[in-house]
Amino acid sequence: MKSAFLLATLAALAGTSGLALAQAQGDGVLTVATIGEPPTLDVMQTATDIVLTIDQHIFETLYTYDAQWKSVPLLAAAMPEISEDGLTYRIPIREGVKFHDGSDLDSRDVTASLKRWMALYPKGKQVATIVESLTEDGDHAVVFKLKSRYAPLLATLSQASVIMPSEKIADTLTEFVGTGPYVLKERKPDQYTQLVRFDGYKSPEGEPSNYAGKREAIAKEIRFVPVPDANTRVEGLISGQFDFADSLPVSTYERIEASGTAKPVIFENSGWVSLNMNMKEGLLTKKPLRQAVQAALNASDMMLAAFSDERFFSIDGSFFPKGSAWYTEAGVARYGEGDPEAAAKLLAEAGYDGTPIRLLTSRQYEFHYKLGEVAKAYLEAAGFKVDMQVVDWATLTTRRGDPKEWDIFITHSNFPGDPTTINTITDAYPGWYVSQQKATAVKAYMDALDDTAKAKAWEGIQTVIYDDAPLYKVGNFNGLTGVGASVGGYTPTYWPHFWNVTPKK
Amino acid sequence: MARISWGLLHRLGGMLIVLALVVTVVFIIVRVTPGDPAAVMLGSDATPEDIAQLRSRMGLDAPLIVQYGQFVGGILRGDLGQSIFLNQPVTQALAARAEPTFFLTLFSILIAVAIALPVGVLSAVRRGTLFDQIVVTLTMVAASVPSFWLGLMLIQVFAVGTGWFPASGYGGPDTPFLERLHHLVLPAVALGVVNSALITRFTRAAMLDVLGEDYVRTARAKGANERRVILKHALKNALIPIITVIGLSVAMLVAGAVVTETVFGLPGVGNLVVSAVLRRDYPVIQGTLLVVAAIYVLINFIVDMLYILVDPRVRL
Repeated sequence: MKSAFLLATLAALAGTSGLALAQAQGDGVLTVATIGEPPTLDVMQTATDIVLTIDQHIFETLYTYDAQWKSVPLLAAAMPEISEDGLTYRIPIREGVKFHDGSDLDSRDVTASLKRWMALYPKGKQVATIVESLTEDGDHAVVFKLKSRYAPLLATLSQASVIMPSEKIADTLTEFVGTGPYVLKERKPDQYTQLVRFDGYKSPEGEPSNYAGKREAIAKEIRFVPVPDANTRVEGLISGQFDFADSLPVSTYERIEASGTAKPVIFENSGWVSLNMNMKEGLLTKKPLRQAVQAALNASDMMLAAFSDERFFSIDGSFFPKGSAWYTEAGVARYGEGDPEAAAKLLAEAGYDGTPIRLLTSRQYEFHYKLGEVAKAYLEAAGFKVDMQVVDWATLTTRRGDPKEWDIFITHSNFPGDPTTINTITDAYPGWYVSQQKATAVKAYMDALDDTAKAKAWEGIQTVIYDDAPLYKVGNFNGLTGVGASVGGYTPTYWPHFWNVTPKK
Repeated sequence: MARISWGLLHRLGGMLIVLALVVTVVFIIVRVTPGDPAAVMLGSDATPEDIAQLRSRMGLDAPLIVQYGQFVGGILRGDLGQSIFLNQPVTQALAARAEPTFFLTLFSILIAVAIALPVGVLSAVRRGTLFDQIVVTLTMVAASVPSFWLGLMLIQVFAVGTGWFPASGYGGPDTPFLERLHHLVLPAVALGVVNSALITRFTRAAMLDVLGEDYVRTARAKGANERRVILKHALKNALIPIITVIGLSVAMLVAGAVVTETVFGLPGVGNLVVSAVLRRDYPVIQGTLLVVAAIYVLINFIVDMLYILVDPRVRL
């Protein structure tokens, strides 16, 4: 099913995707130009996009996301058996799955891996607080006992909770052994990460859908090559040096299309941009002032300034895009097109004293900066004074940890598999969004056991977020990548994957 | 001889002081720059508590004086520390990146000198002619062109257009040595052309100075042929400023090919520094800058030694 949420653009690509699976495994090599070197391959330590992109070929999780971002089995044999009180999850594990070192996957590997995940990975740590026990149930099942209901369990188990052999587990990983379709052969930092086909791979069944379904390692080898300069990635793609190039400037779309050697690929709704507000200290602890920010900003102008071309963004107040199981318009009435007069009224009511708003942004992501410039103009038009501080990203991530240092910072996120994994919903995420009505709405979600109840509870959370205004969602943006003209079967996903992809001859 | 030895010792002492200053200044700058390797490593999901825990595990919460003592102690033992992100010793990370940077520097400077010396000398000898005016104009243009722009143009023509050279990288797992060097041709030309402009201008100016000297006039009056006058009498005496600028160019290339390495995706020392700065990988920043400073100081020392060879009147 072609989902509006996910997807792809070029009919040519769609036409070739089915063919690829039917093709025999070959000797081809796929060379993939990435935006840079992964800081590590230990995804539990650092789950950045580049790490997740590479690691998903080596490691697998119990569950993964399908085209609607619902969690479906990957290493799990089926969906979990959940007790009536919602506190016990029994997860069966597929039999006959082998690790790259030849050992068999069993429940001891799963519990050992998940315990490491709960000790290291930020979202795993959140899970750890509600887990009473995690035990083996025979060789091929594990049982989670929870202290309280936790609806996003499967969604969190679908990301970074990779399963590795229990005997390879250490604080600092020295071997990267998984069950995925590709084996790590060699990594030379800043030069390449070389993966080769795993001949003992046992694929899940089903039609490919986002990260779910049948996986076949058609290419004998995948080489991830860091190419930090975006223009060089474009030239390398067009010259045929790369079979795939990630994160390309939108201005190069026509050039790639006209090249004849490569095709541009738009991944719709790659992420969303937000202005996050400080609810712990400073000016914006006052709700009317946060709502004034909300009223003052014009999403269309900000996104146009940031992404230049309407093919590459959309204006949508819902925190999940159309096509997602979580799409809802609940509460979005507050998402407007900029009303300086309404904002000025709110400012007057709140007794705004002219203290400047410290707006933190970075040029490391140029669209953050451009968007910040327009935000500043709209806020000033409403009567705010704005002190826009442009710093590098590492500085911004440090400063935003200190509530004394800022009032608003600009960031972007991908669409997570579960609403409660949106960073802002977490009390501890910079912005420190703590409110009674949020806690009540989140509790209702956590207690939900089926999809209908979860969807209804999520409507409540989105409504509350718009009322509390801990952030201003600006809009959704699309990503541009490029693929060699003779490469077949590539289907765009947020973290590009290359199983089921046929290299050029 | 004793004078040279004393001068040599004096110079070596100066070099050590420079390096000690570099160690201290780099340590301080790295620590006062906002940004935190733990926050970068954990990504945007991390809470302040997660970051604080990781800082503690990395030893970044120790007092600065303790961290400084550990850094200096390590240097004295030949240990530049352990990269936070690469999970390997800094010396190992540097060694892995030495090859592309070394050959890129070597080829760039060879290209620069091969262009600059003959063109600079001819331009001075033919002062005021059309050739000279063209050289002066072109060198001005070449000196103004950013190497990254020239790099992108070269990629456009020779990688995308003709397909003669790869657009980026330093080869894959099975790439033989000569093919790896093939990857360096375009970046070396980009850097070589830009550096040749400066060396040409210095060569021309130095030659113009000496061509007006009495001993050159005397040589010509004695009937020496023009080739001998220019190469033996003039060029030899003009070499000191030329060697100086070549030495400076080499030193700048070792540390300063950052942008070109980024454009061409070369896994060299420049790229290592850039990624370390973006990630705040303190040990890599400190270790790499120390090594680069040491190379810089060493090159200057070698240049000083060359002065003695070229002009016996020079003393240390």
